[in-house]
Amino acid sequence: MSAVDARPVPAAAATGRPGTGAVLARAAGAEWLRLRTVRTTWWCLLAAAVTIVGIGVTAAIDEASGPADPLAGLPATFAGEFGVLLGQFALLVLALLAVTQEYASGGIGPTLQWTPRRGVLFAARVAVPVVVATAAGVLLALGADVAAWGIAADLTLPAGDLADSLGRVAAVLASGSALAVGLGFLLRSIAGALAAVFLLQLILPFLLQGIGVEWMRDLAELLPGSAAIWTLIGEPDMTAGQATALLVGWPVAALAAGGWSLLRRDAG
Amino acid sequence: MIQVRGLTKKYGAVSAVDDLTFDVQPGKVTGFLGPNGAGKSTTMRMVLGLDRPTSGKALVSGRPFAGLAEPLRVAGALLDAGATHPGRSGRNHLRVAARSNGIPLSRVDAVIDQVGLGSAAGRRMKGYSLGMRQRLGIATALLGDPEILLFDEPMNGLDLDGVRWIRGLVRDLAADGRTVLLSSHLMSEMEQTADHLVIIGRGRLIADAPIAEVLRGARAGGTVRVRTPATDDLAGALLRRGLRVHPAADGELLVEGTTAETVGDVALELGVAVHRLAEEQHSLEEVYLDLTGDSVQYKVSPAAELTGQGAR
Repeated sequence: MSAVDARPVPAAAATGRPGTGAVLARAAGAEWLRLRTVRTTWWCLLAAAVTIVGIGVTAAIDEASGPADPLAGLPATFAGEFGVLLGQFALLVLALLAVTQEYASGGIGPTLQWTPRRGVLFAARVAVPVVVATAAGVLLALGADVAAWGIAADLTLPAGDLADSLGRVAAVLASGSALAVGLGFLLRSIAGALAAVFLLQLILPFLLQGIGVEWMRDLAELLPGSAAIWTLIGEPDMTAGQATALLVGWPVAALAAGGWSLLRRDAG
Repeated sequence: MIQVRGLTKKYGAVSAVDDLTFDVQPGKVTGFLGPNGAGKSTTMRMVLGLDRPTSGKALVSGRPFAGLAEPLRVAGALLDAGATHPGRSGRNHLRVAARSNGIPLSRVDAVIDQVGLGSAAGRRMKGYSLGMRQRLGIATALLGDPEILLFDEPMNGLDLDGVRWIRGLVRDLAADGRTVLLSSHLMSEMEQTADHLVIIGRGRLIADAPIAEVLRGARAGGTVRVRTPATDDLAGALLRRGLRVHPAADGELLVEGTTAETVGDVALELGVAVHRLAEEQHSLEEVYLDLTGDSVQYKVSPAAELTGQGAR
C-alpha cells in the first residue's frame, strides 16, 4: 500500500471554487447523512412514532368506547395534538443530539476540518435537524389523526381543522427543536442541554402552574413550554400574541447565543 | 506549504503557544517535536482553524484554513483518531466527509483500500482498535488528495507493523512532493522518518533545522569521557584550559564541549596515563532532551547557536 499509487484526482477543485450556496448545500447534505447513519436518530423517530400515534390511537379508542354524545362531531385532530404534547420530546432529543453528540465524542473537530466556515456549518446544523424534527412531527400527527378518525366513528376530520392543527404542530416543533439546537451549541453538553430543554419545555411549565402560587404562575407564562402547550391544547390562558412571542423569542435567543458560541469560541 | 507567523495562544495569563514562526516546506517530512504540553496540538489546531490564535496567523497554501470552501482538497489532518461517532461505520464517516467537500464517493473506497481498512470499514467504529481508528483517520486525511498533511502523534499506541506502515506512508507522501507535518514523541521514529525538525518547548520555538544539522550541532558540543589514575591532575589541567569538567559516578571524568583529541593532548602534555578515552555519542533522543529539558532556561538563542545559526 503506497501513497504514490495512481489515484484519480478529483477534478472539481480545478474547475473553480464553489460558491457559498454550493458549500451550504454540501454541508446540509453532510448533516442529513450524519443523521441518517446513526441508529439514535431512528430510535428517536421510533419513540416519537410510538408516543404520538400511540397516544392518538389510545385517545380514539377511549373516545369510541366511552359515552359518545359529548364529543360527537369533535375533530380527530386532538389525537395528534395530545400525541405531540408528549411525543415532541423524542424529536427534540433527536435535534439536540445532532449538535451535542459531537461535543461529547470530539467529532466537532473533524466536522470543522471538513466545513471550516462556521457560519455555513451553523446554518446547515440548525436547518437540517429542525426540518427533520418538524416534518417527522407533522407526519406522525397526521398519522395519529387519521388513525383516531378511523377508529372512532364519531370523530370528524375536516380539511380546514386538519391544516390548522398540523400548522400548530409544525410551529411547536420548529420552535422547540430550534431551542434545543441553540442550547446544544451554547452548552456543548448532552446532559446540560437535555436538562435545560426538559426544564423549559416540560417540567417547569407544569410544575409552576401546578403549585398554584400567583408569581409562579406568572413565571410559567414566560416559558417556551407554556406557549407550546397553549398552541397545542389551548391551555393555560394566554393570547395568541403572547404565545407567538414566546415560540419565536426563545429559539431566536438560544440560536443567537449558540451561534455566538460556535462562531467565536474555540472548536471545543 | 504551511506558514506560521507569530502564532500565539494565551489561556488567561498562560501562553500555550508563544510567538511561533516557522514554515513547513513541501517535499519533505517535517517532524514537530516537543514534550507533552509544549503546544504541538494547540499549534496544529490553530493551523486548522479549530482554535483561534490570540495573535499571529497560520496559512495553508497561502490562505487561512478557516475560509476554505473545500478544505479536504487543500489540507488533510489526523488530530484525534478517537473523535468520531462510535455508532457510525467507518465508511459512512468517510462518506460524510466526502459529501461535505464535494468529493466523489469512489474516493471513499479508494482510501479505504489505500489504508488497508478493508471489511472493517462497514462496521461501527465503536468496535475499532486504536490501529484501525488511526488508519481511518489517515484515510480521512487522504480523502481529498491534499497537498498538505498534518498528523498529530499518528504512531501513538500502534504496534510495530502500524508504525512501519505510517513511516512508509509519510515518506511516500513527501516523495510525492506533499507538505507533511508529523508530530510524535517517538524520537527513534523521528530519526528514521523526518527530514526536518521543528522543536518547541513551553510554546516557544527551540530549533528549526534539518535533522542532520540538529544532530551535528549537538555532537560538536559533545562530551568526552576519560579514565585516568591521575584524576585530580588531569581535571586541574583541563579546568585551566577553560573546559568544564565534572566527575562521573564511576570515578571517570566528563569533559564538556570538547573532543577526544583535545583531552588526549592535554593528558600527553601533562604526562599522565589514560586508560579510557571516549566521545559520548548523542542520539536524537538525548539531543532532544537536552534541548527541551529546561525550555525556560534555553529559550531560542542557545538552540540557534547549537543548530548553526542558519536555522531560520
